[in-house]
Amino acid sequence: MESSEDDGGEPLSRLAEWRDVTPLPQDDGPNPVAPIAYKEEFRETMDYFRAIYKADERSPRALRLTRRAIHLNPGNYTVWHFRRLVLEPLNSDLDEELDFIQRIANSNSKNYQLWHHRRWVVERLGTNVRAKELHLIKSILSLDAKNYHAWSHRQWVLQALGGWEDELDYCQQLLEEDIFNNSAWNQRYFVVTRSPFLGGLTAMRASEVRYTVEAILANPNNECPWRYLRGLYKDDIESLVNNHEISSVCLKPCQEFRDAVVALWTSDSLPLDPDLATAICGILEHVDSMRASYWIWRKNKLPVAA
Amino acid sequence: MATRDSLDFKVGVEEEEEEGTPSPSSISPPSSPLSYFDRDRHVAFFEMLYDLMPYHYQSQEINRLTLAFFTVSGLHLLQALDRVDKDRVANWVLSFQAHPRSRAELKNGQFYGFHGSRTSQFPPNENGVSVHNAGHLASTYCALAILKTVGFNLLTIDKESILISMRNLQQPDGSFMPLHVGAETDLRFVYCAAAICFMLEDWSGMDKEKAKDYILSCQSYDGGFGLMPGLESHGGGTYCAVASLRLMGYIEDNLLSKNATSFVVNVPLLLDWCMQRQAIDGGFQGRANKYSDTCYAFWVGAVLKILGGYKLIDKIALRRFLLTCQYEFGGFSKYPRELPDLYHSYYGFTAFSLLEEPGLNPLCAELGMTDLAALDRSKVASLHLHNLWLVQVSYLLTVKENDTKAFVWGKVPITATKASMKSMVVAWYKALTPGVIGLYRICGGDEKKKNIGEHIGSDDDDEQRVMGQPCLVVRGN
Repeated sequence: MESSEDDGGEPLSRLAEWRDVTPLPQDDGPNPVAPIAYKEEFRETMDYFRAIYKADERSPRALRLTRRAIHLNPGNYTVWHFRRLVLEPLNSDLDEELDFIQRIANSNSKNYQLWHHRRWVVERLGTNVRAKELHLIKSILSLDAKNYHAWSHRQWVLQALGGWEDELDYCQQLLEEDIFNNSAWNQRYFVVTRSPFLGGLTAMRASEVRYTVEAILANPNNECPWRYLRGLYKDDIESLVNNHEISSVCLKPCQEFRDAVVALWTSDSLPLDPDLATAICGILEHVDSMRASYWIWRKNKLPVAA
Repeated sequence: MATRDSLDFKVGVEEEEEEGTPSPSSISPPSSPLSYFDRDRHVAFFEMLYDLMPYHYQSQEINRLTLAFFTVSGLHLLQALDRVDKDRVANWVLSFQAHPRSRAELKNGQFYGFHGSRTSQFPPNENGVSVHNAGHLASTYCALAILKTVGFNLLTIDKESILISMRNLQQPDGSFMPLHVGAETDLRFVYCAAAICFMLEDWSGMDKEKAKDYILSCQSYDGGFGLMPGLESHGGGTYCAVASLRLMGYIEDNLLSKNATSFVVNVPLLLDWCMQRQAIDGGFQGRANKYSDTCYAFWVGAVLKILGGYKLIDKIALRRFLLTCQYEFGGFSKYPRELPDLYHSYYGFTAFSLLEEPGLNPLCAELGMTDLAALDRSKVASLHLHNLWLVQVSYLLTVKENDTKAFVWGKVPITATKASMKSMVVAWYKALTPGVIGLYRICGGDEKKKNIGEHIGSDDDDEQRVMGQPCLVVRGN
C-alpha cells in the first residue's frame, strides 16, 4: 500500500531503504544540445529511477519511486509506463490509483500521459467506475469547461462504457452556463449523432433546429450555433436550404444589417447588387473588414447570375 | 506546484497551458510592444537556450529532442544557423537512434526510431538486448528534422529499420501510437508518421489509405479537424490533418488558387473555419470563442498557406497581435504581455516567416521547418548563377530521377524586382550544398522554357508538371 505522500522530499541517498541501489546517472553524451540545468532533487530522483527501471524491479518501493518521479516530471511516459508494469504484479488497488491520478490532475489537467494512464486504469475496472468517471470529468470541466483532454476522455468513457442517458442534459446545462462554449456544442453534436438512446441525427434534427435557432436569435454574433445548424444538415444541404424556418432566421438579422449598411452606404460606392449572395459578400467586405480579402475572393467565386 | 503542460513533441497541440510558464528571468514584461520583429534579441535568446536550458524545462526532459529541434530550427529560421556546430549536433542526434540487432527484430513489435531523451534510452544489457527500447514517433520526427536542418544526408542512416518497425505502430483504424508500449493515438502521430515517410522519401512505413481514412473521420461538422474522431475542431488537429494529407499527396498544392475541388476534404467549410479563427485582436484562436494564442498563427496560418489561402488573412492585424506577444529580451509568449517560452517563441518565428518578415528564412508549411531544411540537398549539385529571374523556393514538390540526373522542383512566387530577386537567390544558394549545375525558369502559359546557360533537353513530363505556374528547376548530378 502506497503512503499517501512521498518521502517528504528527503534525498533518496539519505534513506536507508535505498542504500542497496546505485543510482544510474544520465549519460548526456558528448556535446549535448540544449542541456537542461536540472535541479538536484530532479536529477537524483531520475538517477534512482533509471537504476530501478534498468533492473526492472517491480516492487512497492519502485511504485513509490514512480510516484515521486511523476510529481517532478508528469510528462515522462517511461515513468508512467513502468508504473503500469509495477501495478500489475503488485495487485494494487486500482481505485486508489484513480485517486492518485486525480491528485496529480489537480495541477496537471492537460497532461496526455496522465489521461492515458487513467484510461488504462478505467479499462481494467470496467463499467463499475463509469458513474464515478463521468462525475470526475464533470468536476474537472467545472473548473475549465473547455479542457480538451477531459472532453476526449469523456467521449472515450461514453463509447467504451456507456452512460449516455444524461449526456444531452449535461450539454444543455453547460450551454445554459455559457452559450459560447464551443466544446459543449461539439459534445451536443456528438451525443445527438451517436447516442444509442436518441435515434440519430435525422430523428433529432427538428428539435435540434428549434434549439439552435433559439440560441442564434439570442446571440447572433455567436459562431457556434451557426456552425451547429449547418452541421445538422451535414449531408443534406438541400433540406437546409428549403427549410423556411431557417431561411427566415438567416435573413432576419441579415435584413437588419442590410438596412443599417444601406443607411451608412456612401454615395460614391456601387449600389447594392440585386443578387443576394453577391450583395452579402459586398456587405461583409465592409462589416467584417478583417476578412475583406476573403469576402472579395468568395464574391468572385460565386456563379454568375443568369 | 503548477507545472507547465508537458510537450509531447513538436506538434504540441496542448490547449491553453497552466500558469507557471518557464522563463529564464522574472522581469516583468514592458508596457508597450515594439513595432518591429526584434531578430537580434531572438537570436540571443535561442543561442542561450541552445547552450543551456533553465531548470524550468526539466519537466520536459523526456522531450529533449523536441527542445533541441526548436532551438536549432529556430536559429535556422532566424538565419543564425552559424551559431550551431552542425556536425556535433548531427552526432548527438544520431546517438538517440534505437538499433535492432538483426532484421528479425524489426517484426517484434518495437519501434526502432529515435528516443526522445536519455531518460528513455538505456544501454543494452549483458546479452545485448535492448529491453527498454522506447523509440517515439515524435522524437523520430524531430531527429530527422534536426538532421535535415544541419544538412546531414539522411540516406546514410538506417531508414529501413525505422520504416519497417514503424508499421507496428499503426492501428487498425489508421491512427498511430507514438510508442510500442502503448499511449494515446491521435492525429498528432499520424502527422509524425507522414512527415517521417516524407523526409525519408519512402512510404513503406505506413498504410497511407488507412491513415487518410482516419484523418477524414476527424473532420468535424464545422469544417475543422479534431484530434480524434468526434472531438472539437482544433487548430493543431487541423494542421496535422491538412499537412498530412498534403505530404501524402491527397491534396494538391495551392488548391484554392486552382479552382480545384478536393474530393477528399470539404474544403470550403474548412477554409471558412480557418478564416474565422482570426479574432478581433488580429491573432488566431485554436477553437471558436477562445483567446488568441501566438502558436495558432502557425497552426492555422500554415493550413491556409498549404491550401493557398494565406493571402486572404489580415496580415497587418496579425502582425500587430504577434508583436504584443514579443518579449523585450527575446522570444514570444502565448498571450500578450506574458513571459516567453521556447514553444511559443518557435511558433512566433514560424508565424513571422509566413508573414515573410525580412531577415527570416522562408518556411515549409507542411513540415514546420525552413524551406532550405526541407529541400533535399543531397540531390543538388554545383551551382552556376546566370542571368536569371530569381525567386524564393517555397518548397520541394518532388524529385524525379532520370539516369544519373536528378531534378529538384520548387514552386516559387515571383517577387518585385530583378535585383532583389537576384540577391535573395544568391543568399539561398550559399546555403545549398555545392553542386547545382544549372538554373532555369519555366513559365507557365505562353512563354516557352527559358534555357539559361544549360540545356536539359525537352522532357514532356517536366512541362506537364509545371504548366500554369512559374517555377525554378535546379538540375543536379
